[in-house]
Amino acid sequence: MKRTFIAVMLMLALAAFSFAGGQVDEPTTLVYGTTEKVTDMDTAHAYDFHTWEIFQNIYQGLLAYTPGTTELVPGLAESYTANAAGDEYVFKLREGLTFTDGTPFNAEAVKWSIDRVIALEGDPSWLVTDFVKAVEVVDEYRVKFILPDSIAYFPSLVATVPYFPLNPNVYPEDRIVREPSELVGGELVGLGPYKVLSFKRDEEVVLEVNPDYYGPAPKVERIIIRYFADATTMRLAIEAGEIDLAYKTLNPSDIKDLSTKSDIITNQLQGPYIRYICYETSESVFADKRVRQAISALVNRQDFIDKVYLGQNSPLYSMVPMGMIYHTDDFKEALGDGNIALAESLLIEAGYSADNPFIFELWYTPSHYGDTEVHLAEVLKDQFEKSDMVKVEIKSAEWAAYKDKWKGKEMPMYLLGWYPDYIDPDNYTAAFAGTSGSKGMGINFSDPEWDALFNEEQTNADPAVRQAVFETLQQKWTVDVPTTPLFQGNLYVFTSSNVSGVKIGPTLIFNYNQLEMK
Amino acid sequence: MKGLLRYAITRILLTIPMIFILLTVVFLVLRVMPGDPVSAMLGAHAPERVIEEKKEELGLNKPIIIQYFEYLGQLARFDLGESMVLKQKVTDPIKEKLPATIELTLWGMFFTLAIGVPLGAYAANKRRTGRDFGIRLYGNVAYCIPVYWMGLMMQLVFGVWLKWLPIAGRTSPRIMSSLFSNTGFYLIDTLLAGNLRAFGDVAVHLLLPSLTLGIVLSGVFVRLTRANMLDVLKSDFILAARARGVSEKLVVYKHGLKNAFIPILTMLGLQFAILLAGAVLTETTFSWPGMGRLLMERIYLRDYPTVQGVIVVFAIMVSVISLLVDLLYAAVDPRVKY
Repeated sequence: MKRTFIAVMLMLALAAFSFAGGQVDEPTTLVYGTTEKVTDMDTAHAYDFHTWEIFQNIYQGLLAYTPGTTELVPGLAESYTANAAGDEYVFKLREGLTFTDGTPFNAEAVKWSIDRVIALEGDPSWLVTDFVKAVEVVDEYRVKFILPDSIAYFPSLVATVPYFPLNPNVYPEDRIVREPSELVGGELVGLGPYKVLSFKRDEEVVLEVNPDYYGPAPKVERIIIRYFADATTMRLAIEAGEIDLAYKTLNPSDIKDLSTKSDIITNQLQGPYIRYICYETSESVFADKRVRQAISALVNRQDFIDKVYLGQNSPLYSMVPMGMIYHTDDFKEALGDGNIALAESLLIEAGYSADNPFIFELWYTPSHYGDTEVHLAEVLKDQFEKSDMVKVEIKSAEWAAYKDKWKGKEMPMYLLGWYPDYIDPDNYTAAFAGTSGSKGMGINFSDPEWDALFNEEQTNADPAVRQAVFETLQQKWTVDVPTTPLFQGNLYVFTSSNVSGVKIGPTLIFNYNQLEMK
Repeated sequence: MKGLLRYAITRILLTIPMIFILLTVVFLVLRVMPGDPVSAMLGAHAPERVIEEKKEELGLNKPIIIQYFEYLGQLARFDLGESMVLKQKVTDPIKEKLPATIELTLWGMFFTLAIGVPLGAYAANKRRTGRDFGIRLYGNVAYCIPVYWMGLMMQLVFGVWLKWLPIAGRTSPRIMSSLFSNTGFYLIDTLLAGNLRAFGDVAVHLLLPSLTLGIVLSGVFVRLTRANMLDVLKSDFILAARARGVSEKLVVYKHGLKNAFIPILTMLGLQFAILLAGAVLTETTFSWPGMGRLLMERIYLRDYPTVQGVIVVFAIMVSVISLLVDLLYAAVDPRVKY
């Protein structure tokens, strides 16, 4: 036993010694830690923040955003024109680009990719099918998008992942790809600045500079994305220097601690991520808009931001986030924060009293939005029950069950969060209060007057008209309250002191080719 | 030898109903749990028609009893089926992740025994001294510590403060495991590839998680070894050995320990199941890409076939270890006959 023990210890010591030994020449490598997960390696089906982030670095859209801003600039298209009616867009593509296997990038490839998204009916396909009637090849380098109607924000849509052109000789036409190994050649490589060198689900994805990228070569030659099962472990890993960058999602207490470390750079950004309360408005106890108004008035945003998020997010008084065009603070003026007097007068009007309290269930999902979600639910319950006329029962369900429950109208009140699909106020409003979008979110709010307003802002490209419509919508939101905005998330990216160039901004697009290492 | 063979076959046959009962429970619980794998797979925006088509394709619209018998039929053909979420056979991720868990579990078991047994024997030999008291205290504390808390403390001390050992993963990010991955047992793979640097990296990555498991599980072995050694040290043959002038070290650590080993072996078999359960938590804490993490991820996705497949493999592993432990009795104690 003793000899075995000594032998094993010697072996480990030898291993440790050899580990500490010589270094070999390596490309400039940045190790990026995250607790996110990669889903399907297919732009026709993936519909989550992190997988899109990888696509935004290995593929390119016809249009792109200047890193860190909402300014749309040419991507794979040099320019575009729209007809007078606003229902046809022609994109002029960059000439002479080829995919790694020599397949030319042209209008046929664009049409093939869009038709594939439409045919496969994947999760994000609505971003194409709801807005594009047909795609036509005009000539080798010009492609036409025919829309069912004028869509004011169509260029923003074209910058989203489902519109990214793929290599028709690599992706299968008739099925969704989940693993890179299912691709012809087994390699994830597009026209973006990076290509996937290796892929191990839930473990590690390695990106390397794409030599065929038409733009300037990225300064960091290799990006290793490490997947952590636990946020605290990720925090310890950046402290120990095992990773160079930690992004999404650290616990508030870890963010607070890391922000004080002198050898770690804190990049704080106001993102377009919002959190809000949803109500089932057709059949539940929240069918009466007065109780929705009352509950909204009881919410005290700064209080839960301080208690749950240690002050790390910003109160939000509209579904349109701060920093986005047409944002107003209507909820602040109309309903306020922790306004018990207003809430009780509305509840009395709705027939409730201290003897006959308004009783409802508040639902949350325990892991999808991080470990803090249960605390958010508890603090909200406390805030609501500050009025004697309200009694709250907290309930929870894991994400898969949660989605089923909102479809089945089983949750009268539930907490959700939103990352934008495209950068426009429409994406923060019509998705919740338009008849079709609202049904999909389980809110089931429907009002022809609202639908007419959405139709107006969607089809009229005149900024003055759109501004007036969005101001009306935000004002009406405080009256009908299909949802209650809670807070806007701040983004925290922690890097070691030798990393710079973190530019994420309001689009949430993280361009790895902007990163630099000293 | 004939008796031994008959015993082994009987034990293996008994494993079949055990796995059958376990699988039935898992199969039913997964389907009773709220949440639908098709919604999890297709997302919130999928049209109803596409959802129905997918359910049809996966056989989820059939009555549960039919689904159950179809699954049993598959198992009878030694086929664990296909993942509902990813287009892969259930055996593919299991083949990939199982070596990671076995490597961690075996090293965890090594440290458990390496710490627990000598300490327990030493405490018995130094009965009612301060050292005995200290070791007993250690045994009790180690036994009570939750494995995830211990993991975090080890990471903090050895990873962040002292910067001696890495915190997470099976290798450093800059070590490309795809360059040497062959059997999935990285210690072996790196040696086969002749990559000493990678071998060292893998070894140091194993240290913290396996030590964590080892320390937490050693508590019970300290207590068990000490108690058994106290009994054995009172035996006549120990008295006789001492009377013949055999050195105290030989008496205690050779003759005494060997005779106290049967209950330790029994506990080893039982602890193996706990070690696997502990691996789920340890793998999460150390971002260790093994079966525990696979199980957790696939439960969230309601990937029924993969969850069932992982449970079957866990059950078989526990059964095999129990059988091996029983067979080892005969090697340790000549009085045991099958």
